[in-house]
Amino acid sequence: MNRILRIDLTNKKSEVYEDNKLYDEFIGGTGTATKLLFDMNIKNVDPLSPESPIILSIGPLNGFFPIATKTIAMFKSPLTGNLGESHAGGRLFLSMFDAGLSAIVITGKAKQPSFIVINDENVEFYRANSIWGQSALAAERILHSSVKCVGKRSIIRIGPAGENGSLMANASVDIGRHFGRLGLGAVMGSKNLKAIVVSGSKRNKIADFGKFNKVYNKIFQAAVKSPAMKKYHDLGTPQNVIPLNKINSLPTRNFSQGFFENADELSGENMSKNYLAQQIACANCPVGCIHLGVLREPFQDNIHYKSFKIPYDYEPIYAMGTNLSINSPEALLKLLYVVERAGWDVMETGVTLGWATEAFERGLIGTKETEGLVLNFGDSETYGQVLEKMLENKSEFYRDLNMGSAYCAEKYGGIEFAINFGKNGSPGYITGRDAFLGFLMGVRHSHLDSAGYSLDEKIIKGDMQEDPSAEIDLMIKEEEWRFILNSLTVCLFARKIYTEEVVIDALDAVGIKKTPDELKNIARKIHALKYKIKVDNGFNLDNLSFPNKLFEVQTGRGKMNREVVNNMIRDYTTKMKDLIKEV
Amino acid sequence: MRKVMRVVNRAQCIGCYSCMLACSRTYFHIASTKLSAMRVKNYAGVEGAFSIRICTGCLQPDCAAACPTDALTIREGGGVIFHEEKCVHCYKCVEACTLNAMQWDPIAKEPLVCHQCGICAEYCPNGVLALVEVDDE
Repeated sequence: MNRILRIDLTNKKSEVYEDNKLYDEFIGGTGTATKLLFDMNIKNVDPLSPESPIILSIGPLNGFFPIATKTIAMFKSPLTGNLGESHAGGRLFLSMFDAGLSAIVITGKAKQPSFIVINDENVEFYRANSIWGQSALAAERILHSSVKCVGKRSIIRIGPAGENGSLMANASVDIGRHFGRLGLGAVMGSKNLKAIVVSGSKRNKIADFGKFNKVYNKIFQAAVKSPAMKKYHDLGTPQNVIPLNKINSLPTRNFSQGFFENADELSGENMSKNYLAQQIACANCPVGCIHLGVLREPFQDNIHYKSFKIPYDYEPIYAMGTNLSINSPEALLKLLYVVERAGWDVMETGVTLGWATEAFERGLIGTKETEGLVLNFGDSETYGQVLEKMLENKSEFYRDLNMGSAYCAEKYGGIEFAINFGKNGSPGYITGRDAFLGFLMGVRHSHLDSAGYSLDEKIIKGDMQEDPSAEIDLMIKEEEWRFILNSLTVCLFARKIYTEEVVIDALDAVGIKKTPDELKNIARKIHALKYKIKVDNGFNLDNLSFPNKLFEVQTGRGKMNREVVNNMIRDYTTKMKDLIKEV
Repeated sequence: MRKVMRVVNRAQCIGCYSCMLACSRTYFHIASTKLSAMRVKNYAGVEGAFSIRICTGCLQPDCAAACPTDALTIREGGGVIFHEEKCVHCYKCVEACTLNAMQWDPIAKEPLVCHQCGICAEYCPNGVLALVEVDDE
């Protein structure tokens, strides 16, 4: 392993090379991808130019152990201008593993709409004129049946959103998984790259079968039996809806409050009972957290019916549901279906529509901009029309919506209620200041960076005392440990199974010796490099704050004290400035 | 009474491949789905539709009947036993199985024969597969 495939779309060339030193130093996954991106020096590179790279990266546990199911995508984000990083499940890691590739680095720009097929280290370049314009769902169907592969295939593709250069375009992976955040779809679109198909024929040997099996079975048994995974196995991430609502932490009507009066309707319980078609899994994950909802719609005088399967999770329910005050699961699934076909990041889409609705209410935009549509929270039909107009991408206002909430607020006003952090639309937690601080300071502005929301929840429950300085330190510690998990690369839902001890044993079972201290040092180095990339590419540490509106909101922990928050941001920032000096 | 493999709850399959991984791992010591003697198939564009093809241990196996060299002989209790030294790599066994249960190793050019051991079922998280007692009376 430790082989990297470089693909140049402009010249239709590719090469494979081995770099064991890189993998020894940075493990794999997010660690090695960060170093690769850092070494490419993207400082003066336009994210949507041919030089802009796309890195797909897996780690040493992928393919070997259960729930090591993620692939890391790293790129320069066209949405934020700095570090672009998004993680996806599905089968991609397996296809790369079977192909004997630890990383794929794509640069250049195809002369016309194209897709590439990677079978082991062989790369073929195909014209994609006939599928340009197809939805992200149709593209998968078509490529699945028309492309010859040497093994289990994974299909990464963009929808019309990515083709149109929407900064919130994602890249869909297999069924119901996505490189969702920070605009990878726009980067692919800018390269005329509709899709990437990967498969491999390699048979990766298990060196020490006895030792390996012991660790495998420990992880597998924990995955199927332990309470650690039960939540994901049963209701899936939407299990969060009711508990968050109970502590006033479920974003409602563009973060106006944390209580949604119709949370029961959109709850994991109700979705499972009345709308769940089935659950599916990423390869080598016995948990199967991917929930596919079913939407039945009548047509032809209501005599005929058609059905759609639409993946749902907590974040889509928040972003397009509670945040827009959508009351019914049917209406929500219908909106999610449009988003899925277009290939947008559902979270940025919901946040942008939340901003637009409030901007409309406040008169910053009017029917002139919206071409006659009246935006109201709860009006799913109109939101559907808005999405269709965004998909058409014709008029100025709807083109602007495709650029995300930060861009729109900058242009039309309402920065104080455009709920994004570092220009990335907020995740769905109003638990308190630590959630927001994590979104702001985390390297990819994700709730999964440092899980500040979980500290908030502990404090709400009384399991932990308030202490700004300790809260910051715990978040940094958590984020750095997660760099290790994201380097392996395991799904963060399995973080309670992949303890430090299990990680060290699993690495040992595939022939990699690391001590806890070595892991800590590697994590620290990864953190420093990521932050250096962010700051070098315009993430301004001297100008950080939360969207003003959030100070008016009753969070799960109550109203935030502005002075305390500002001090925390200042202290966190100081630590990050010191961190960068370690590079 | 004999024990053979059955797909008992096809619609409960989540497509995790734990079964195929267990089979390849157990018999070939590889981390792969590739040398599994059974297969979970995905269908293009049908979200979450899986079809599971596994040797059901025929008493009069079509694969063995199709083998020109007796490389496949009838196993007591159902299914077949593979005699590698007799195999002429003709692929006829695979073609003979209407279930498409007989898998193929494209490098060795040999069939991958199910041992009716049930290891795949042991790793199935959702009870899709089972080693079941069959009464032929």
